[in-house]
Amino acid sequence: MPLDYRRFNGPEDSVSYKQFSTNFTRSYDELFKGLFDENGKRIDGREFTEARPLYTKTNVISQAKGSAYVELKNTKVVCSVFDPREIVGHQNEYSIYGQIYCEVKFAPFSCPRRRRGLAPDTDERALSANFKTAIQTAIQSTKFRNFQMDVFVYILEHDGACLAAAINAACLALTDAVVPMMDIFSARTAAVINNQIFVDPTEAEENLALMPTDNETNHGIITLTVIDHLRNITDLQQIGSIDADCLIKVIDILLEECAKLMPLFKDLIIDNVFEQYKEHQVYLSIKKQVNEELSNKVKEWTLIVKDK
Amino acid sequence: MSGHVSITLASERVNHSVAANNEIPRFFTPGEVVCDLHDFMRGHGTYVEDDKIKSSVAGVMQRVNKLICVHPLKSRYVGEIGDVVVGRVLEVQQKRWRIETNSRLDSILMLSAVNLPGGELRRRSAEDEMAMRQILEEGDLISAEVQSIYSDGSLALHTRSLKYGKLWQGVMVKVFPSLIARRKNHFHILPCGISVILGNNGFIWMGPQAQNLVSREKDDNLVSASENEDNYDCYKGLQTVTRSNREAIARLKNCIAALVASKMMLDVTTLIFAYEESFKYEEVKELLDPEAMLDVAFLTQHRLNTIMDE
Amino acid sequence: MAGMLLSNAERFYIWDGVEENFRSDGRSNKDYRPMELETDVVSSASGSARLRLANTDVLVCVKTEIDTPKSDKPGLGSIEFFVDCSANATPEFEGRGGEQLANRISNLLQRAYHSSQAFNLKQLCIFEGKQCWKLYVDILILECGGNLCDAVSLAVKAALFNTRIPFVKAALMDGGNIDLQLSDDPFDSKRLEVGTAPLLVTLCRMDEENIVDPTAEEETCIAVSIVVGVSGNPALYTSSEDTTPSDHKCTTISMSGNGGILPDAMKIVIAEGITAAKCLDEALGRTLLQERNRTNLQKKDSYGFLK
Repeated sequence: MPLDYRRFNGPEDSVSYKQFSTNFTRSYDELFKGLFDENGKRIDGREFTEARPLYTKTNVISQAKGSAYVELKNTKVVCSVFDPREIVGHQNEYSIYGQIYCEVKFAPFSCPRRRRGLAPDTDERALSANFKTAIQTAIQSTKFRNFQMDVFVYILEHDGACLAAAINAACLALTDAVVPMMDIFSARTAAVINNQIFVDPTEAEENLALMPTDNETNHGIITLTVIDHLRNITDLQQIGSIDADCLIKVIDILLEECAKLMPLFKDLIIDNVFEQYKEHQVYLSIKKQVNEELSNKVKEWTLIVKDK
Repeated sequence: MSGHVSITLASERVNHSVAANNEIPRFFTPGEVVCDLHDFMRGHGTYVEDDKIKSSVAGVMQRVNKLICVHPLKSRYVGEIGDVVVGRVLEVQQKRWRIETNSRLDSILMLSAVNLPGGELRRRSAEDEMAMRQILEEGDLISAEVQSIYSDGSLALHTRSLKYGKLWQGVMVKVFPSLIARRKNHFHILPCGISVILGNNGFIWMGPQAQNLVSREKDDNLVSASENEDNYDCYKGLQTVTRSNREAIARLKNCIAALVASKMMLDVTTLIFAYEESFKYEEVKELLDPEAMLDVAFLTQHRLNTIMDE
Repeated sequence: MAGMLLSNAERFYIWDGVEENFRSDGRSNKDYRPMELETDVVSSASGSARLRLANTDVLVCVKTEIDTPKSDKPGLGSIEFFVDCSANATPEFEGRGGEQLANRISNLLQRAYHSSQAFNLKQLCIFEGKQCWKLYVDILILECGGNLCDAVSLAVKAALFNTRIPFVKAALMDGGNIDLQLSDDPFDSKRLEVGTAPLLVTLCRMDEENIVDPTAEEETCIAVSIVVGVSGNPALYTSSEDTTPSDHKCTTISMSGNGGILPDAMKIVIAEGITAAKCLDEALGRTLLQERNRTNLQKKDSYGFLK
């Protein structure tokens, strides 16, 4: 990956001013209490198993073959898919599978706690690898043999569950790009804090889920990707410390949540196709009109020529 | 479900050397003077300096009439015409396959040096050239004979006999070529019903004998994978290997590993002896244990010695 | 590993063997190959271990350095993993060839050791907010014969078990700076608590079966593999009786490969991963204690690390 060496990246040891705020120095228990409102719900009014509303829009980047924008409240992600191109570098090595190149990138301003560097860090590389595992199963890579397709994800704002948002965006971007796929897929994230499961966590919840504590309770973050009809898990990423029972419970909840997304995606995809169909109809009618006008002109001219 | 895990300490490492009763040969190190030049000719592994033949590798000296060679243990395979080899197809090229045989250069199998499916005898046409992948494709294992040696040292193979050709289900083990004893016959069917090919190049193939196969259930993707194959081959290649055969192959594989760890020469007798001795250990996986490996090698050596004495 | 060619017939043979629960070297689907372990092999490192699992050979060294803790975690030290896939293992790793694999393994370890229940970073604190120990875990892959992740995680745990950190004799406050006085005696040092450190188990999905410890040949026949990181039981790593055993918890799960797995099968995979990790943990604990007892009695002989 080419790095931008010419840009001066600033001293590495600068710290966010937020570290000196009172909010920052609060203890684990205080932070944990801060996740709930007075009704025992989450601070943004959601139930524990309630995901944030999902806003999506496809075809947002005109120069890409297909693109999608996904928003989970404050998590905002753009994904774009580009045309397959011939693999450079590997001489003579013919592969019957097409390759997919994935890159997930955080915007420098995306994270609330610190500024992200421009060079890809280990987090981003790991995220890219996980992202690739999640999406590659659904793509029929034999349809573009010996070619490489690029999928880029840019995380504009990070407020938790960014991998899941990226995967969902990829699903829509790939369908928008008319990439041959076996199936559509969706992903969801859950955080476990103090044995309590939080579906679709915010950044504050994710942060607490990975914070070191003294108690022996389950904590961690799990992201699950499922492809629709085959009901297969194509990716499962977990970090933290969770026992088997809790893990199985989380997987069941996430499967359900992923299944809920599928009809939405299908609607959107169908809408898009319908939209394109309508556009095509409009195009056809315009074309017909133009053709008629042209043929009329030709007739007029032939008459003029004959008259002469 | 119970997994078996064993971790041993390096301080308990087993010394695999099995003392043979024959004398330890003289070893030569690179640069050591082997003999004077005027009586002898220099062969592989030697060079001439100051009218002396010196060794260029570490190994044992071998003299054939006036020719002096030094053979190292770990050398790659040096082919000789008529050798039986086991090899793997690396690449399908124009009118030929490139085969990996553990020699210094990749070997070549010409399209004209194979039997066509069905045993037709005719000139190879352009169609045959197009269909080369249906005969052998990348990754396939073959047994073959060295037909000739090109000037650059690479080997030309041929499979123009029914005993050579594509190898089907089974296991290939790689050992040092110098551990394979040269014999008249390198194709064996062991008493346990397993056919073994001891390739001169150090590749050993083990597979079930053709008639011991039971038919596999009809499986769509298996048939499609080989739909272009000759019918007989298809039948032969894609049936499940029976449990008893599988156990015998695994046992043989572990025996070979044991013998190689103790640097013993491999031929069919040692193999059979080791196989029989290994029944001391009921479960095949027990043979993965270094101590059991040494034990098998030791018992085999002992039995060989008693035969020699008689 | 990539680049290993197998014919279709050999693949069928391996697949059928897995179905029969009898693999090509006689192991069942849940058996590990015998391993050989040696700790304290590198004298210039604070702790080191070398593990050989059939043809896979890894060397792990721990270096300790003094660092200032991060401002958001004043009471914690830190641990970092670096994997070097040397070109010794296969020529494919030459240049940047092994980078992807190295990143994957170091990332897996970093995630597995993230939780405080897996590895307590508090023990690395010297002076809260001012100074802490930083552990650099360098993993060198000498040979690559399948099942790298598991072997690496075992060797890392053994190397951490072997690590000694010198005692801090005195700390002088001089204005805002701290002057540390460390003991010079190599035996006047403390050991790390590594009982809970996680082990990684790679489970490979073949048809309907899950196998552990795949050989290099088997790895080429696999579509999906799942790595489960499971925390260890500290009671297995001390000879004293008073340590409370803790349950084995998942500290990381990661999938790789091109394929999917049914949810029910996934649950089985997790359960099997935990069981396998338990077996590994027991065997490792036993071996490490055995070696420590032996070195306490007599001076340790050193053995070369490559056979």
